[in-house]
Amino acid sequence: MALPKWTTIAAVEFDGGVVIGADSRTTSGAYIANRVTDKLTKVTDKIYCCRSGSAADTQAVADIVKYQLNFYEMEMGEEPLVHTAAHTFRELCYDHRDNISAGIIVAGWDKKEGGQVFAVPLGGMVVRQPFAIGGSGSTYLYGYVDSQFKPKMSKEECLPFVANALSLAINRDGSSGGIIRLAAITKDGVERITLTGNQLPKFYEDH
Amino acid sequence: MSILAYNGAAIIAMNGKDCVAIAADRRFGVQAQTVSMDFDKIFEMGPHLYIGLPGLATDVQTVSQRLNFRLKMYELRENRRIRPKTFMSMVSNLLYERRFGPYFVEPVVAGLDPKTHQPFIASMDLIGCPMITDDFVVSGTCSEQMYGMCESLWEPNLEPDDLFETISQALMNAFDRDAVSGWGAVVYIIEKDKVTKKLLKTRMD
Repeated sequence: MALPKWTTIAAVEFDGGVVIGADSRTTSGAYIANRVTDKLTKVTDKIYCCRSGSAADTQAVADIVKYQLNFYEMEMGEEPLVHTAAHTFRELCYDHRDNISAGIIVAGWDKKEGGQVFAVPLGGMVVRQPFAIGGSGSTYLYGYVDSQFKPKMSKEECLPFVANALSLAINRDGSSGGIIRLAAITKDGVERITLTGNQLPKFYEDH
Repeated sequence: MSILAYNGAAIIAMNGKDCVAIAADRRFGVQAQTVSMDFDKIFEMGPHLYIGLPGLATDVQTVSQRLNFRLKMYELRENRRIRPKTFMSMVSNLLYERRFGPYFVEPVVAGLDPKTHQPFIASMDLIGCPMITDDFVVSGTCSEQMYGMCESLWEPNLEPDDLFETISQALMNAFDRDAVSGWGAVVYIIEKDKVTKKLLKTRMD
């Protein structure tokens, strides 16, 4: 049973969309079961979620939300709001809070509010934040994100902000690693970026 | 989590043509958190005798210090360098003394005989059961991964340069599949006239 609770995920909003990112390591104990995992999961065309916690639980929840939002879209005739997606996640995570282990960040773009990031951590609360971090690796990032985040960043500033954060966590957290997966979601769609090997941002290393 | 996996480590020793190699990762961590990336787990016990100590970090340091003491006393009494097989027995004895409250280390010994320059490698469990092989020995949290890599890559009579490549690839690809080892690696190639120490550039995750 693989657990990417041991993971690092992050999301930040900018004027016009969001940038989300995750590492790619899934561990089963100390064994790395998957080193190229994709933890950024599509929920609708313009709304993604970053998954941390039990792989099985988060995959199941995301599949259910994807189904429900697809249904909603057909009934309403327009794309769902990020707020709706986040609350759909919340409903499942809160009602089953004793039985599942899911720490999710919902992020996307809608035409009403633009780019939004909602954190849905373990107990099932929802909170909108300008940026959110999650997973075991996020503990190493609070200082970094608090000092480096500036409001009203552009997409070009958000991408290195998230990439640097993930790289720092990967360097220190045993349960995070592999490659960095990023996605930028705007009104024009989703742009996915992968940073491998030498493309990962580098910081002080004594060798 | 097992006490032997609390700090995490990966060590391999391999036999080559008139040489031996011993390699280890350099991570020092506390469960999932990496604290430093320059923690030495291979200790020099003689000009051509090395011991690798994976396991609980506090015992890695204590066992190496206690062993050093016993070795120096041996050298004073015998007035000569210890032979690798005798050294292995010395380690085994030290560990078995603590049979019912053991040191949480599973050592790997690698060296050349001081007179004949015969290559020697051996490993032990945490209570001192020795195992001498003529191909390779592995120890650490990713031992299964290391066995797979060594079994596929090792062949007999490798020259020092080829042995370096083989042991490096075996170690790196094994600890890249282990969440608690890695973050740098060091390789010692021990030949009869010189010992080469090389640091590997590895993934730091």
